[in-house]
Amino acid sequence: MSGFLELAISGLMSGLVIGLAALALTLVFGVARFANAATGDFMTIGAYAAVFGFTATGSIVIGGLLGLFIGAVSGVISYFLVFRVLEGRPSVSALLASIGVGFIIRSVLGVIYGHGQQVFQLPLVRPWRYFDVRIQPNDLKIGATALLALLVVFLVLHATPIGRRMRAVADDPMLARVSGIAPRKVMFALWAMSGAVAALAGVLLGIRTVIWPEMGWEMLIPVFAAAVLGGIGHPVGAVLAGVILGVVQEIATPYVGFTYKLALAFIILLVVLLVRPKGLFGRVEGVR
Amino acid sequence: MDAYLIAIAIITAIYVLMALGLNLQYGLTGLVNFGVVGFFCVGAYTTAILSQKGVPQYITFPLAALLAMAFAWPLGLVSIRLREDYFAIVSLGFSEVVRLVATSEGWLTQGVQGIPGIPKMFGTFSGTTQALAVLGLLVVFNLVAIAAMLRIVRSPFGRMIEAIRDNEEAVKALGKDPAGFKIQVLVLGSALTGLAGAAYAHYIGFISPEQFIPLITFQIWMAIIMGGVGRISGALVGAIILMVFLEGSRFLRDVMPFISEVAMASVRLGVVGLALVLFTMYRPQGLMGDFTRK
Repeated sequence: MSGFLELAISGLMSGLVIGLAALALTLVFGVARFANAATGDFMTIGAYAAVFGFTATGSIVIGGLLGLFIGAVSGVISYFLVFRVLEGRPSVSALLASIGVGFIIRSVLGVIYGHGQQVFQLPLVRPWRYFDVRIQPNDLKIGATALLALLVVFLVLHATPIGRRMRAVADDPMLARVSGIAPRKVMFALWAMSGAVAALAGVLLGIRTVIWPEMGWEMLIPVFAAAVLGGIGHPVGAVLAGVILGVVQEIATPYVGFTYKLALAFIILLVVLLVRPKGLFGRVEGVR
Repeated sequence: MDAYLIAIAIITAIYVLMALGLNLQYGLTGLVNFGVVGFFCVGAYTTAILSQKGVPQYITFPLAALLAMAFAWPLGLVSIRLREDYFAIVSLGFSEVVRLVATSEGWLTQGVQGIPGIPKMFGTFSGTTQALAVLGLLVVFNLVAIAAMLRIVRSPFGRMIEAIRDNEEAVKALGKDPAGFKIQVLVLGSALTGLAGAAYAHYIGFISPEQFIPLITFQIWMAIIMGGVGRISGALVGAIILMVFLEGSRFLRDVMPFISEVAMASVRLGVVGLALVLFTMYRPQGLMGDFTRK
């Protein structure tokens, strides 16, 4: 039983990471209307930048903030150079270009850092025990960070003028335009936020596991599954679905084996698309 | 030198076969298949496993194509009605799951160690004769595929799939069901890809899961986008460009040995990515595409 609980807690943490990344994906999808396949690679950038900052300063907070910043910058640059040009084209163009952007990011990281693995050299802490359940203090900090980040994102979305504009554009781009909302500014803010959120997911994933150029790309299927399960374009849904997915994956591990985690995410994705393609919280507007 | 040129030609022919399959799916029908390498993998493993059991190649080749089709059909059934970008990600996931199964199910596929010693095609010949025979067979495959595709383009079926690509809503309004046609196209294209996989396995003689990474899928995408989407000449030109690029980067490493193989792999990845980005942005119709259309 305690093993089960430990798995559930571990799942909750990896679920928050998936949820953050799914939030990044769904933010872009809601406004730019395409599935950004480079989301995972923004995670990787964030993780590498954070390791760089951490080894330079020795502070995980500064490292993490550097990761967020670089993630936001990468998001803005990729919008400015690529996705801005592809606005108004079929969504397949942007999707294909985002695959290309992801390849370029991985290529640059691969050339600079090689394909070896890096880790955050954090001091080992003895896990706490509550009634036979082991809890890693680091996991708690990761969870708290993720929750804090979510709080900030939702505050930005719902309590600031730029957030209100973002939601307006997501709702109806034309109506937003005729109401005097400048789409460009909104898009820059959106890509910065999406990049930063993805980067944070990457940093947290890097702390929990290892950092290597493919780490984010390997998360793409679970992240997309979470975004779809939550109802694409729906921020709260993406986070909740990410947590659900993380817990299910972790609890199922003893039964299906570690290697088939990804397959499980794939099957959940298929089932959701078949049974309820608009996801848990999706709008009635069909996606089929 | 002759042997080298023939080897290049054989690999190019395998790429052309895959590019033709993807061209049928994306170029003619607008089906965004990001899982090309999955069907390639199925074809390769089918023939490799059966050959180990001593099944002759004239049986394993058709079976490789058939099994690739057998994988494409259910995938199409469950996911083809989705939005095109959803289908893209689902097919990408499919190819990753195929690779995962090839990695994990050691009893069937020998896992990460891979399957060595897959018998050569035309094993009774040797040297240049054997290589030329392989090349001849692949050229025949390609010619048959091209002839079939030209027939398809001029048939009612061809007009229908092109109409689906250009305006799916209009096709629906005419009372046709696009999904059925798309599934047929997915299955047909996958047969070509599976066949290419079988030829690859027998030609290289060794397969392991790490040869079937999504990068292969996007190399084929790069080929058809650079060559020209929806054009048979595009598939041909694109595959040749791809081959020149892959081989060229190998030569570059011979000239500049200080670049490590790992760095070169990263550079290759970056070039594929850059090509995808730049061509979708500035020249979506490709090199051989219609210059007048945007």
